[in-house]
Amino acid sequence: MFRSAIPIAAIFLFTLWFITFQPIQVLPRIRLAPGFLLTDQTGASLSSEDVRGDIVLYSFAYSECGPECDDMINTLREVQNAVDGIDVGDDAEIRFVTISFDPATDSPEVLETYAAEVGADPDLWTFATADEVHVSNVVKAGFNAWYEQKEDGSFAFDPAFVLVDGWGVIRGEYFYRTNASDTEKLRHHLEILGEEIRNSHGAASLAYEAAHLFLCYP
Amino acid sequence: MSALARRIAIILAVAVIGVLAGRFVILPRLLPHPFSGAVITTEEKVPPTELLAGGGGTLRLTDFEGKVLVVYFGYTFCPDVCPAILSKLADALDILGDKADDVQVVMISVDPDRDTPEILGEYVTHFHPDFLAATSDVATVNRIATIFGVYYELQEGTESTGYIIDHTATVMLIDKKGNLKVVLPFEGTAEQMAADIAYFVG
Repeated sequence: MFRSAIPIAAIFLFTLWFITFQPIQVLPRIRLAPGFLLTDQTGASLSSEDVRGDIVLYSFAYSECGPECDDMINTLREVQNAVDGIDVGDDAEIRFVTISFDPATDSPEVLETYAAEVGADPDLWTFATADEVHVSNVVKAGFNAWYEQKEDGSFAFDPAFVLVDGWGVIRGEYFYRTNASDTEKLRHHLEILGEEIRNSHGAASLAYEAAHLFLCYP
Repeated sequence: MSALARRIAIILAVAVIGVLAGRFVILPRLLPHPFSGAVITTEEKVPPTELLAGGGGTLRLTDFEGKVLVVYFGYTFCPDVCPAILSKLADALDILGDKADDVQVVMISVDPDRDTPEILGEYVTHFHPDFLAATSDVATVNRIATIFGVYYELQEGTESTGYIIDHTATVMLIDKKGNLKVVLPFEGTAEQMAADIAYFVG
């Protein structure tokens, strides 16, 4: 019995080591990101199917947000400028989608101007919106991000980022007032996700599945 | 029993428990089921929204706790994708055999204007007698589809088809506790779907 126990003991010890030292980390598979059909800053449709296969960092704002959005926009711009150094494999790209919850004001033209003002690279970073009801379904019910229109027409909201993988599964939620360290955290999480995607085929994928099973989260 | 004998007995007991735990607990966890779709790790309950059931009456997705629920968003005028998926799901139930008793397939129509409960009920049972269908008003369907990660958009069709609807064609697996666990791609085979469903049937 002791001889047959050796491989199992070895597996047990390896598992213990794996859980304790977490040589592989993954981001949790939190829940499905919402399906959506938006209109972007060029007037074109942007659906959740259009970004399937890509890693998308979602954020929620409106063009008349002013200084309240500065921290969030700065973080997004910094992450945007860092994506060249993040390897997510040949089949995926990192994209940014900012959904406006002010469709009454944020026409495609307004969003295009806003995107240029904040330094968004149009190849990477899309601004989009939809009718009020759909935006509410997507942002509030789908992404769990809170906003509310005030009497003066401006919006109260909590800055939030949501990281979604190519399967449309939410892998990171960042619901708090943004600050400088967000850039590093988001970049680090994008790297972790990129590594998992690069190793999503063959035997290596089993190690990543094990990391999910043992909750090896950063 | 001497102290030495007691110590040996304890070591042996721990070893036996360790071997059994390794064989039946750890090893199966180290060899995860190779799902053919995206896995959701956390427990995310399906919404308890009341829907109009195909054939009449109402249903809620939460009515099926205790069974593995398979949800697909489609519509009866769908020219190709929906029939293909529903046929694959019917084949998957056949593969599952008796285990299929613990499975419920529900198609939610994204075309409530044309898909009346009567039309829906007839449509899905054409693929499998146990399939159910549901729909609701446009606003509710939009909300439910959004939550399930499903996008849909009306497109111009031909005179014979009327408008058609582009839509996400994934299949959602919900475990017996009502948690959305796996999202299967359209391309999956009936065998892959059956294997993933069987995992949750147990």
